[in-house]
Amino acid sequence: MMMPRGKELLLPVRQVFIWASLATALALAMLQNMALWGRAAWLPDVVAIVLVFWAIHQPLRVGVGTGFLLGLLVDVHQAALLGQHALTYTALIYLAIGIHRRLLWFSMAGQMAQVLPLFAAAHALAVLLRLLGGDGWPGWSMLLAPLLETLLWPVFSVLLLWPQRQAPDPDATRPL
Amino acid sequence: MPLGTLDSSPPPFFRQGPSALSKLFFFGLLAVLLMVADLRFHVAQPLRATLATVLYPLQWVVLRPVVWLGDGGRYFQSLQASQESAAAAQYQLGLQSQRAQQVEQLTLENARLRQLLELRARVNAPALAAQVLYDAADPFRQKVILDKGSLSAVQAGSPVLDEYGVLGQVTQVYPLASEVTLLTDSHQTIPVLNPRSGVRALAVGVTQGMALQFQDAHVDMQVGDLLTTSGIDGIYPPGMLVGRISQIDRHTSDVFARIRVTPVAHTHSALHVLVLKPSADALVANAVAPAPPASGPRRAKP
Repeated sequence: MMMPRGKELLLPVRQVFIWASLATALALAMLQNMALWGRAAWLPDVVAIVLVFWAIHQPLRVGVGTGFLLGLLVDVHQAALLGQHALTYTALIYLAIGIHRRLLWFSMAGQMAQVLPLFAAAHALAVLLRLLGGDGWPGWSMLLAPLLETLLWPVFSVLLLWPQRQAPDPDATRPL
Repeated sequence: MPLGTLDSSPPPFFRQGPSALSKLFFFGLLAVLLMVADLRFHVAQPLRATLATVLYPLQWVVLRPVVWLGDGGRYFQSLQASQESAAAAQYQLGLQSQRAQQVEQLTLENARLRQLLELRARVNAPALAAQVLYDAADPFRQKVILDKGSLSAVQAGSPVLDEYGVLGQVTQVYPLASEVTLLTDSHQTIPVLNPRSGVRALAVGVTQGMALQFQDAHVDMQVGDLLTTSGIDGIYPPGMLVGRISQIDRHTSDVFARIRVTPVAHTHSALHVLVLKPSADALVANAVAPAPPASGPRRAKP
C-alpha cells in the first residue's frame, strides 16, 4: 500500500478505543456545557472533531450511521431540534470520507486548512436548519466555533493516534 | 513481526456495503423526517424520552464533579461568610413574615367578599420544588434543565417560578428531567397585566429580555411599571410578577409603541424553582363544582 513518505507505521486500532473515545468526547461536550460555559455559541464541538478524525483515519469502522446515532444523542442532550446534529454529522462524515484519501498526505498545517471548510460547512448547515425552523441568529461568536475546532485538530490527532504509536512488542529494554 | 501488526491493511474488494453517498441520502432523509416530526407534528416525544433516559447515566456521571465542587466550595466557605448569609436570610424572612401575615388577612377578607358576591373561589395551584441542573447547550434557544421529570409528576406546560417571579414554562418532560423554556426565549409568550393602569398585553421573548407586542402608541404604560400575569390564559395563575418595563419608544411614525421589559426572575442564575400545575385543570374543576353557599343573611329580592 502506498504511504506518505516519512509516515510512521501504526498498530491496528482497537474498536473498543474508538467507541471509548466517542463516549469521552460526548462526556467532554457535556462537561463544557454543564460545568464550564453553559449556553455559548462559540463552544467547539468536540464530538464533531472526534467523528471527523475517525472518519478520516478509519472510514471502514466509523461511517455515516455512527454520526447519525451520535447526532441524535447530542440533539437530545442539547435540547436542540431533534435531527439537527444528526443531519450535520451525517453531512460532515460524508465530506470527511470524501477527503480521507488525500488528507493524510499533507502536513498538519495543510490538514487544518482542509478541515476548516468542513467544520464551517457543518455550522452553516446547522444555522440554515434552525433559520428554516424559525429560530434566530445565535450571535456572532458562533463564527469562532469552526476556528476553535480547527485549532483543536492537531491536539486530537496526537491524542487519538497515541495508542497506535506504541511498540508492537514492548519489553523492559524498549518500553516504547 | 507477525502478520496483522500493522494498521495499513488493504480495503476489502467486495463487501464494501452501500456507498457513502447512498448512506448520506438515507440518513439525511431520516434526519429531515425526524426534524419535521419534531417541529411540525410534535410526535418525536417518545424517541426523545427514550434517548434522554439512555443518556441519563452519562449525564449523571459528568455532573458529579460539578456537584462535588459546589458542595466542597460551600464546605470551605468561611464561618463569617456563612453567618452573614444566615443573618441576611433572617432579615429577609422577617420582612416577608410581616407581609405574609398581611396576605393571610387579605386572603381571608378576599374569600369573604367573594362569598358575599357569590364569585368563584380563587384557585391556588399545587406546587413542586425543583432545582435547575444546567443551561441547555443549544445556543439558538433559551432553555434550562430541571432535575424533576414525569416520575415526579411534572407536566408539560406547567409554569415555573423562581423566588422573584415567573421564570418560564416546562416545554418538554423526560422521566427524570424536564426542559424549561425561559421567558426570554423568542418562541415564548406570556399574557401580562399592568396593575397600575389595568392594561393587558402579550410579552414575547426577544434577545436579553421581553417586549410587549401590538400596544397602541398612546397606551398607558410607563418606564418602571411592574407587570404581573393576567391569569386569563389558563396556565399562569394571576398576580405573579413577570417583569418591569425598562424602555418605551413612542414614534409618531409607528402605530405601535416599542416597549421593552426586563424579567424580574433571574433568568441567568436561577437555582431553586417552583413548578406549578397549569391552572386550567383547577379552573375547570372549580367551575364544575357547585358554588359555595353565601354565608350570612341575604336580602330578599325586591
